[in-house]
Amino acid sequence: MTSTPSSPAGAEPVVETRGLRMAYGGTDVLHGVDLDIRRGEIFALLGPNGAGKTTTVEILEGFRQRSAGEVRVLGADPARAGDAWRARVGLVLQSWRDHRRWQVAELLTHFAAYYPDPRDPDELLAVVGLTGQARQRVDRLSGGQRRRLDVALGIVGRPELLFLDEPTTGFDPEARRDFHDMVEHLAAEEGVTILLTTHDLAEAERLADRIAMLVDGRIRACGTPAELARRAAAQAEVRWTAPGGERHRERTGDPSRLVWELHQATGGPIADLEVRRPTLEDTYLHMLHGRPATDGADGSGRPLGTDAADEAGAAAGADAGTGPDTGSGSGAERARAERAPAA
Amino acid sequence: MTTTGTAAATAGATAEAAGEPGGTAPDRTPPDRTAPGRRGGPGGLRPWRAGLRRGVIELRHLVQNRKELTGHLSNIVVGLLVTSFIHDDVPGTHIPMAHLTLAGFAGYLLFQIGLLNLPQILVTEREEGTLLRLRATPGGIPAYLIAKSLLIVVMALGTLALLLGAGAVLVDGPLPHSAGGWLTLLWVAALGLLAVVPLGAALGAVLPNPREALALIMLPSMALLITSGAMFPLSRMPVLVQDIASVFPLRWIAQGLRSALLPDAARAAETAGSWQLPTVALVLAAWAVLGFLLAIPLLRRATRRESGSRLSARQTRARANGAPAL
Repeated sequence: MTSTPSSPAGAEPVVETRGLRMAYGGTDVLHGVDLDIRRGEIFALLGPNGAGKTTTVEILEGFRQRSAGEVRVLGADPARAGDAWRARVGLVLQSWRDHRRWQVAELLTHFAAYYPDPRDPDELLAVVGLTGQARQRVDRLSGGQRRRLDVALGIVGRPELLFLDEPTTGFDPEARRDFHDMVEHLAAEEGVTILLTTHDLAEAERLADRIAMLVDGRIRACGTPAELARRAAAQAEVRWTAPGGERHRERTGDPSRLVWELHQATGGPIADLEVRRPTLEDTYLHMLHGRPATDGADGSGRPLGTDAADEAGAAAGADAGTGPDTGSGSGAERARAERAPAA
Repeated sequence: MTTTGTAAATAGATAEAAGEPGGTAPDRTPPDRTAPGRRGGPGGLRPWRAGLRRGVIELRHLVQNRKELTGHLSNIVVGLLVTSFIHDDVPGTHIPMAHLTLAGFAGYLLFQIGLLNLPQILVTEREEGTLLRLRATPGGIPAYLIAKSLLIVVMALGTLALLLGAGAVLVDGPLPHSAGGWLTLLWVAALGLLAVVPLGAALGAVLPNPREALALIMLPSMALLITSGAMFPLSRMPVLVQDIASVFPLRWIAQGLRSALLPDAARAAETAGSWQLPTVALVLAAWAVLGFLLAIPLLRRATRRESGSRLSARQTRARANGAPAL
């Protein structure tokens, strides 16, 4: 690790945590989270409500004291960092309703004054598409406009790291697409590192260079969307009906071999033969809903844990996310479909 | 912690970037944008500039907000109206009772700015996330405090000037008779503010939400208004009530203002037969010290506790309680 912070892909991670733990009154919320976020990437922390996303991010933002573990954000411990560090970090929270009486341009110009090298407020208004609202009062903005103003306030100081907390909650599809374009522009054109928290897999897949899935205070999977999809698809499910009439189901990394063996064993056609490759969405939903049954278990139904990463290499040839029933049909639908024939 | 290495590495460049007065020209580009100015260096001026600018903007918003401005002005109007209906004299003197009442009302308005208006502002801004936004901004909290101080001082001065000015013109109200009187008016007002503003800040740091804050503070302050000798001579109150009221700052603010505004003959109506200015100074200073001792840790705690999740939790709760969405 050299001391050239400007070198792009990688020398020193922008965010680095090791064994990050958080306990509230004896209850553990985070069980040793390890994260590495590299300069210039969009990193999504994906997880359901209550998984520990908010706690993790607030520790990284310097708003919460951790119970244990090591945390470095932009080379400093956020719990102790001062104004110089603050100036390099931007925040966009979903709960802000502040400065409602201020005019949009007035507010942005005011906040520019806190930073050593701020962006030009007028240009920034154009970037977030609020030029027409410059003279408007903040409390007269629509929800989407308000959020874009929050983004403008978050980046007015030219942060190196931007936290986006559930940024598109309540957006209509068009506003969401515009917002995604803007975030991509920030990362691609301006080299801002972005940590996005969301519970929306589609948003994470759409935006993120890498996704970490946080469930029950643990990182259950981490990688690029393609990697995760490939890992998810690595364990195919083979189903068939035996000559005796009973239904079978088996998970395997090599479905072709299993099918071939089945054919040999039966010596003829196999009834109701199906090979399915789970999508990333299936796996994610499975992680969320199949938790109690699968925790620490092995074999079929295993969640996409960190150990699954080892299998990713072996399954590298697998065509990511193009199983027989990709796309339409949610995991929940499929779960219902599974139960039906068994009954 | 292993953070020291990098921190030291950036510190060198920081000194460079901060080598000119902070915040002068927003479009200026320092040599290295990864090394923003630090507190203590010339960049330490930035919170002052930002804070004063913020205070001026908040004052403008106050003046432009018809509802809020009406609220403040109606206090003054009520004071003047009440005064105009009082025609008797201070017992044992030929000084109009209206003068005593107006001086007392001036004291009460100062008291109210510190202990009612300020906590309300603080609690509201805490709930909306203003405090959190400034916490997430370099130098934001010092700037916030500077802005609020400016806002409160101007509000207090404006209220006093309007009340006494309009009183003198419209209802033949009192004004200081000598340079000494003006000086007393100034120091009593200043010390009175110092006695109530930190207390108000402490209240604003701990009270749960603006609606409850109003309810909690309003009743005791009305009780003090009646019992502190602000509206009529304290000597008319039972001794026990006098003693209780004497613990709180309002009695002493009002008494100090009377000493500045009324002729010395009015001393006859005071419980001690004199203005007791040293006691006024002592009690108000004691409250100021106590207030600061309370306010600093409480404000620090309130700021430290702010985070996005707490903010949204509070907002959810407020909505559940039927409060209008913020």
